[in-house]
Amino acid sequence: MGKVAELLSHPLELKAALKLKFLRKPLFPDVVIEESADLTRCHELLKLTSRSFAAVIMELHPELRNAVMLFYLVLRALDTVEDDMTIDPKIKIPVLREFDSKLDLPSWYFDGNGPNEKDRAVLVDFPCILNELHKLKPEYQRVIKEITGKMGNGMADYILDENFNLNGLQTVADYDLYCHYVAGLVGDGLTQMLVLAGFGSNDLYDENVHLYEDMGLFLQKTNIIRDYAEDLADGRSFWPKEIWSLYAEKLSDFAKPENTQQGLYCINHLVLNAMTHIESVLHYLASIHEQSSFQFCAIPQVMAIATLSLVFANPKVMHENVKIRKGTTCYLILKSRTLRGCVEIFQYYLRDIKKRLTVEDPSYLKLNIQISKIEQYIESMYQEQLPLGVKPQETLIYKKVLDRTEYDSKVAVIEEDEEFKFNLGFTMFLTFIAAVYFYSK
Amino acid sequence: MSSSDVKSVLLIGGSGFLGLHLIQQFSELKPQPQIHVFDVRPLPDRISKQFTFDPSTITFHQGDLTSPADVRKAIETSGATIVVHSASPMHGNSQEIYEKVNVKGTKNLLTVAKQCRVKAVVYTSSAGVIFNGQDIHNADETWPIPEVPMDGYNETKAIAEEMVLSANDPENDFLTIALRPAGIFGPGDRQLVPGLRQVAKLGQSKFQIGDNNNLFDWTYAGNVADAHVLAAQKLLNPTTAALVSGETFFITNDTPTYFWALARTVWKADGHIDKRVIVLNRPMAIAAGYLSQFFSKLLGKEPGLTPFRVKIVCAYRYHNISKAKELLGYQPRVDIEEGIRRTLAWMDEGL
Repeated sequence: MGKVAELLSHPLELKAALKLKFLRKPLFPDVVIEESADLTRCHELLKLTSRSFAAVIMELHPELRNAVMLFYLVLRALDTVEDDMTIDPKIKIPVLREFDSKLDLPSWYFDGNGPNEKDRAVLVDFPCILNELHKLKPEYQRVIKEITGKMGNGMADYILDENFNLNGLQTVADYDLYCHYVAGLVGDGLTQMLVLAGFGSNDLYDENVHLYEDMGLFLQKTNIIRDYAEDLADGRSFWPKEIWSLYAEKLSDFAKPENTQQGLYCINHLVLNAMTHIESVLHYLASIHEQSSFQFCAIPQVMAIATLSLVFANPKVMHENVKIRKGTTCYLILKSRTLRGCVEIFQYYLRDIKKRLTVEDPSYLKLNIQISKIEQYIESMYQEQLPLGVKPQETLIYKKVLDRTEYDSKVAVIEEDEEFKFNLGFTMFLTFIAAVYFYSK
Repeated sequence: MSSSDVKSVLLIGGSGFLGLHLIQQFSELKPQPQIHVFDVRPLPDRISKQFTFDPSTITFHQGDLTSPADVRKAIETSGATIVVHSASPMHGNSQEIYEKVNVKGTKNLLTVAKQCRVKAVVYTSSAGVIFNGQDIHNADETWPIPEVPMDGYNETKAIAEEMVLSANDPENDFLTIALRPAGIFGPGDRQLVPGLRQVAKLGQSKFQIGDNNNLFDWTYAGNVADAHVLAAQKLLNPTTAALVSGETFFITNDTPTYFWALARTVWKADGHIDKRVIVLNRPMAIAAGYLSQFFSKLLGKEPGLTPFRVKIVCAYRYHNISKAKELLGYQPRVDIEEGIRRTLAWMDEGL
């Protein structure tokens, strides 16, 4: 189905796409930042490596915009070194391990990527990144350096881990740890920056509460489930054996038609595992006060739950990389601007999963219980169904949601304005069509 | 031996469904307390394999809960410092029986126990005391007891609970506590799981009433018994007694689940999976309930579907047990899946 036909068959998504394209205003339109040549180059590199991510980063509050962009570019550079199979491990390992110390150098670049590596420019033009990095507040630089160090060493460890390279991830604990290195650490860094900027509640970066870890793991696990076919084609896999071995002898067996049913059970089991992070995700989102940061954090999460529902019980996952529709993305971007909107998105997709769950599924009861648990958590966030005379329990999450509701109401004004303009525009459009039709007769 | 050790316990209604689980959990305490059972009916001759306690270590006292002499004799001969009162008639009995056991029996027990210088009474109330047909979303103990109760059973349970709580008298060293379990099931259960098996046998499992978004609490009987042991210990321990005495606690498995998901899990465990499910929405089912009631009356039969039953299976009824977790240190040890497995294993024993 063509893109246009796809949009036309989902009118709500078409509406969202039009609103997003023509009506939504950036949160910080009047901020003009003096751009150096280096910064311009950084923007180009950002767009080169991730179009969708670039858009979200450029919408961030000016306080964090460059810091987050440079954090992203540094990690992208690290990833480009790790991912490039043409680099000799003898060169690669030290570069990964010492990457954080390069960040202190006045200038450094790496020209060792293969000619076909599409992101090699990030490493070649690394001096531009360094120049801009050194202009950041020292505390942001410290965070970027800390996470880069941890991630670079983590990557090097995995490259050297023979068992991992030969047999993949074994236990669910291994799976969590792997996701920690590739995604949990990103959440760690971003959260530190958010708290430093004063954009989230102080307890968000707490020694005991690792909500950011769940933010990263939820995204990463969703991607890992979705990427089964692509990863398998590349000769790797990140599904943990502890789970898939319940359903097949070999991980690649799921691609065979006779094992489709077992493959679906396995996917659903992995979905169940990913769902255990959702309560913390909602708690995290409720803790962010600054609107652009909220959107920055919320968009990937709501896309992840939509993707999770798409991969659930979906036999296509065994053969191709399934993706949510562009129109769905537009709809989610607009709706996830409020916490309430995010909660509704999660609830919608969870109930959708529940509806498609079959009794035969070995995870039938566990999935039901997990979804119920999230429903119960959502109830405790808002506590709107109390009988007369009963006061809400003043729990931490309840108070956070209450605070967040104030920010939500400001967004609601913007949403109403967009809706009004859309309706106005739509009416004008219809009138125009009617007029053309009338006169052409 | 610390002060919170239960040395001797008297289990009122100890021969019943929950009673056997109470015996089991108290017998697992180290050191094992002396366990006394007071009931109108004796302990079953054959005990399910799901229980491991040794019946010969249990002292049985037969008697009537409404008789002061019977209760006094049992308390005095047992020398129990803790009385656990879990006697309650099954749902479906007459109002007269409810009144007799729940109200008169409880009143008698409280009076005699206090006279006999029992230290603490743990009362098994019911989560139903706050239910009047309206949805219950994540209720905690601050929810009021409705002015118009659901039925005579819940009404008398609420009256008894109120008596128990107001009898709490720390100054005279007489402490009480009320636990409110929701949807108890497990080996010995005569209602929940056996009822579902009956539905499947009649071929009615393919009908689903309501949209199945309503959350429901099921609680494994062994976990409920655990909560009773914890309550007894907290009451006997001077450092915790003040926090929990005179209080009510909801007790659940802490995993509310969609009503039909639990039902289908039971049927699935029995090897019965419906290929197609026919969904009757709530208003339609209520109408069908009235019809069924009407025609059953004409034919002089017991109606299968009644408006009352439809409302029960369509209602949200789940509870927040933060208080029990925090103050009693309660955690459900047996999960729903394992609980269902044990229940079906018990049913297959054919006791």
